[in-house]
Amino acid sequence: MKQISAFIQKELLECMRTGKCIFMLILFVIFGIMNPAFAKLTPWLIDIMSDSFSNMGLSVEKVTVDALTSWMQFCKNYPFTIIILLLMFCNTLSAEYQTGTLINVITKGMNRWKIVLSKSIVIFAFWTAGYLLIFGITYGYNAYFWDNNIVSCLAFFAVCYYLAGIWLISLMIFMSTVFNSNSSVILSVGGIFLGIYLIGMLPKIDKYLPWYLLDSSKLLINDGSISDYRFAVVITILSVIINIVAAVFCFSRKSTL
Amino acid sequence: MDILTLSDVSKAFGSKKIIDNLSFSVGEHNIFGFIGQNGAGKTTTMKMILGLLKIDSGEITVNGESVKFGNAKTNREIGYLPDVPEFYGFMTPKEYLTFCGKIAGIEKKYCDKRIEELIKLVGLNGVNKRISGFSRGMKQRLGIAQALLGNPKLLICDEPTSALDPLGRKEILDILSDVKKHTAILLSTHILSDVERICDKIAFLYNGKLALSGTIDEVKVFIMEMG
Repeated sequence: MKQISAFIQKELLECMRTGKCIFMLILFVIFGIMNPAFAKLTPWLIDIMSDSFSNMGLSVEKVTVDALTSWMQFCKNYPFTIIILLLMFCNTLSAEYQTGTLINVITKGMNRWKIVLSKSIVIFAFWTAGYLLIFGITYGYNAYFWDNNIVSCLAFFAVCYYLAGIWLISLMIFMSTVFNSNSSVILSVGGIFLGIYLIGMLPKIDKYLPWYLLDSSKLLINDGSISDYRFAVVITILSVIINIVAAVFCFSRKSTL
Repeated sequence: MDILTLSDVSKAFGSKKIIDNLSFSVGEHNIFGFIGQNGAGKTTTMKMILGLLKIDSGEITVNGESVKFGNAKTNREIGYLPDVPEFYGFMTPKEYLTFCGKIAGIEKKYCDKRIEELIKLVGLNGVNKRISGFSRGMKQRLGIAQALLGNPKLLICDEPTSALDPLGRKEILDILSDVKKHTAILLSTHILSDVERICDKIAFLYNGKLALSGTIDEVKVFIMEMG
């Protein structure tokens, strides 16, 4: 436990001193503010552009925005948030392979599984904190400007999107133990996600895939029920566990440190 | 008593045999010079001793305990100085050594005392800047300090002087000579003058095999006899 705690402290110190922490904080706050801000500014933007639309022969009706508009914007911004987080941490192991800094740690007697676990804990913690920040800011502004009660199943929707992020991070950690370069890690994660997306296009299979969790935004407008997502939630959780176990297995057998 | 023993160790990468039935041992308080040209297999041998590479056949024991690939508990007895020591550049030397102490499970009070001793020994006292600003020689000194932190029975040094200027080389060799009182040293190098200066026993590695071994005097006599 002392080794894991020491390694986590090292990871956090690195994030603080290399500016990752402050960058992520600013980014998450901006994304959190953007969701309600975009919803709030939409009528004003359309109003400004209505004259040019009239000249083109298009009539613009009065647009009403509410908390749902803001939550839909949350869904649209979500891919950018998780992609930036993955890009920030895709070198978590590859940078150490390239510099050889892990050799000292391993030859000091640290078990390899503890390295994988420590790094996973830190990245999961960043995602959890960042996600809570974005969700909290969006929720707070929505409550101030409109009413969050008009959307249904908000908590379950939040859990689904959070889990999808955890799944992608676990996949990135697994790929980091397989490949030695950042680009290979990020391309393999992207490739697997794309593959699952394509498989999801086959009828009746989609609801068993982790990707289906991102479909839970439909629940906000009362389209479908929570039970529709039970398979995706269970399979995603199992998949996260498998990814971490596979990462430990691969890393324990890796010679090119 | 021998601290390190290699018995008929072999290692191949694909079809290329890098180490071929290698056997030697290192006794207590000895500096064992491990000599060979680049690509002879010195670093491969050291990585096998550290459990970083899997051996194909044979056995390696450290202080009587067999080395296992991937999770070498024998590393508790070993300090390792890589040829190009790399550290976390965002840390100061003391922070890095404290981190190493925690990883190695050294008790905090003793670790703090030991860090002070080692920082003085390697001449880094008063240096509080981050490691990213260190020269190659300073990194080599810090490398020795981290390798000695846990009072290892065996210190493995992979070409510690190869990239240093004459003054830096002398300082590192002086430190190693001093350390010999408490620790056996396996010193890989291709600089023969370094070997002559501090080693007790030497072994020449050629094409993955031990071509010649013995004390410095024995090897000198052998070479003179061979003409």
